[in-house]
Amino acid sequence: MDKRYYGEFGGQYVAESLMNTLQELDAAYEEAIRDPEFLKECAYYLREYVGRETPLYFAERLSEAYGTKIYLKREDLNHTGAHKINNVIGQILLAKRMGKTKVIAETGAGQHGVATATGAALFDMECTVYMGAEDMERQKLNVLRMEMLGAKVVKVTSGSNTLKDATNEAIRTWAKTAEDTFYIIGSAVGPYPYPKIVKEFQSVISREAKKQILEKEGRLPDVVMACVGGGSNSIGMFADFIDEKEVKLIGVEAAGLGIETGQHASAMALGKPGTLHGMRSYLLQDEDGNVQLAHSISAGLDYPGVGPEHAYLKDTGRAEYVSITDVEAMDALMELSKLEGIIPAIESAHAMAYAKKQAAKMGKDEIMIVCLSGRGDKDVHTIADYLAGKGYQN
Amino acid sequence: MNRIEARMKQLQEKQEKAFITYMTAGLPDMEGMKAIIRANEAAGCDVLELGIPFSDPVADGPVIQAASYKAICQGVNLKGVLKEVESLRAQGAEIPIAFMMYYNTILYYGVKAFVESCVNAGVDGLIIPDLPFEEQGELKAALLEAEKEKGCETPILIQLVSPVSAGRIPMILKDARGFVYCVSSMGVTGQAADFHKEIVNYLTKVKEVSPIPVMMGFGIRTAADVKPMKDIIDGAIVGSHFINLLEENNYSPTAAEEYVRTFKKELNM
Repeated sequence: MDKRYYGEFGGQYVAESLMNTLQELDAAYEEAIRDPEFLKECAYYLREYVGRETPLYFAERLSEAYGTKIYLKREDLNHTGAHKINNVIGQILLAKRMGKTKVIAETGAGQHGVATATGAALFDMECTVYMGAEDMERQKLNVLRMEMLGAKVVKVTSGSNTLKDATNEAIRTWAKTAEDTFYIIGSAVGPYPYPKIVKEFQSVISREAKKQILEKEGRLPDVVMACVGGGSNSIGMFADFIDEKEVKLIGVEAAGLGIETGQHASAMALGKPGTLHGMRSYLLQDEDGNVQLAHSISAGLDYPGVGPEHAYLKDTGRAEYVSITDVEAMDALMELSKLEGIIPAIESAHAMAYAKKQAAKMGKDEIMIVCLSGRGDKDVHTIADYLAGKGYQN
Repeated sequence: MNRIEARMKQLQEKQEKAFITYMTAGLPDMEGMKAIIRANEAAGCDVLELGIPFSDPVADGPVIQAASYKAICQGVNLKGVLKEVESLRAQGAEIPIAFMMYYNTILYYGVKAFVESCVNAGVDGLIIPDLPFEEQGELKAALLEAEKEKGCETPILIQLVSPVSAGRIPMILKDARGFVYCVSSMGVTGQAADFHKEIVNYLTKVKEVSPIPVMMGFGIRTAADVKPMKDIIDGAIVGSHFINLLEENNYSPTAAEEYVRTFKKELNM
């Protein structure tokens, strides 16, 4: 079997000039994760700097309201406010090990950009973040954060001015500068070996959660759930449960204004296999095979593709993929805030919304773990506009 | 014989260098595009690269990105371009034509159907910048199958090499046909004459091992740009600059013809 593929998905659909770079990256990564010193260094920063391990919190009032036992994996309590930092710490330590002095990243909502800028400040690296002009307008606070952290934010004005175009621009720059520059991809997407690397660095989520649930409940959960944009928090949440066949895995995509409206980000529900950003996976496309704009109230789920391993988990039936509309997600966001005193990121609220639907099918002694991938502080402007009935830009 | 291979053979016999232009398909419109293609043929252009517009052209710089975006907004698509190539051939155009396109456009159309359509239309070559050697199996199999089934010429898959391909070059060139496309710099198209620092060494190495003509592309504007490499390469490819020239001259076929004629002459001086 071709290690670069997950079934028919994955691969390396990149320019010839990047093939050696990817080969070097794969070799460096494989060597690093077998080196106890590297693993020790990763663990050190995750513990001392990021604040891991994160709690697996039994949400008592929510459980009572929804009618099944719900545990929240609190990735929102990480430094910088989301799971993105787990992957950045791993990749930046790998970059350092490879002798690179500069890092670049793409960002949509700005969470991966902030995490990368944070890591770059910590390890004294030059950092450039590519961000769509439209997203920069929507996420002004995160732009300011990145700049405070010493990163240069480059405004991307090509194509649709959003995450997919920022990613194109990061890939173009990387192709030019790979000799001294490391591209930190933020989601479980991109050419091999990126999906593998991101999964490894995010799998700390499920490693901890599995140990924690066994301590608390003495058994594995019945359901594990997470939201899916490109799919990094979800692949990290699924990783250690994939081989536990009795655990049901559910990925929640964004249905935006509703799948039937065409204004959504559900690559799994309606996408066709295609190639974008170096990978072959499910992809939203128009009738000419051009990539379609995704739509979601959550900038972090606003991506027309999905990581190749998710595409494979869907096709093999190991995981189920569902979708949640903007309205359902916002309702769940308000509900979690009021019941548990936790304001989730709008991305994570999609998982919370489906948790409610799934709970209705479960018994009160059954167990569900939901990945609370990030906190909602970054979203207060969007939430305010939404509550004021103003809708939101996209 | 495939039109590209036939032309390369002719040029080698005459000891002439090849000149290749790139234009985004469907600009300024289909009729205007065909007029530019005919002007290229009249001026002695050796291969015409027709860029099929795609929403996410990661191998391209700002000029081709903008042209591609414009074409998409005008509704240009693969099906339409195939139809125009077919009509050009019916009207007697014999200039070798290669499609430069991204792999997703082929996947969406269907690999097998795409090969058949290319054969029917008279497309001679395919340049796919996001389909490195390792990912070419599916397309090569479809090309081979069509050749066997129909007993006809199918388009050649043109191989690209980069300044950092190094050890990969023999593998890439093993079954390569037509010509090898040497990318002159790292990164994207249209970085005006900003060639890789090792450009001469790199081209020399490719030339030493290549059984087929070696073409240099990316960032070339005039014959003077490639003068230092003239004795190494078998020809040059101009894309972004040609598009700029077309834009500046309101897609005048005369201006295109003049440019191609001059470049080709200076290249062979």
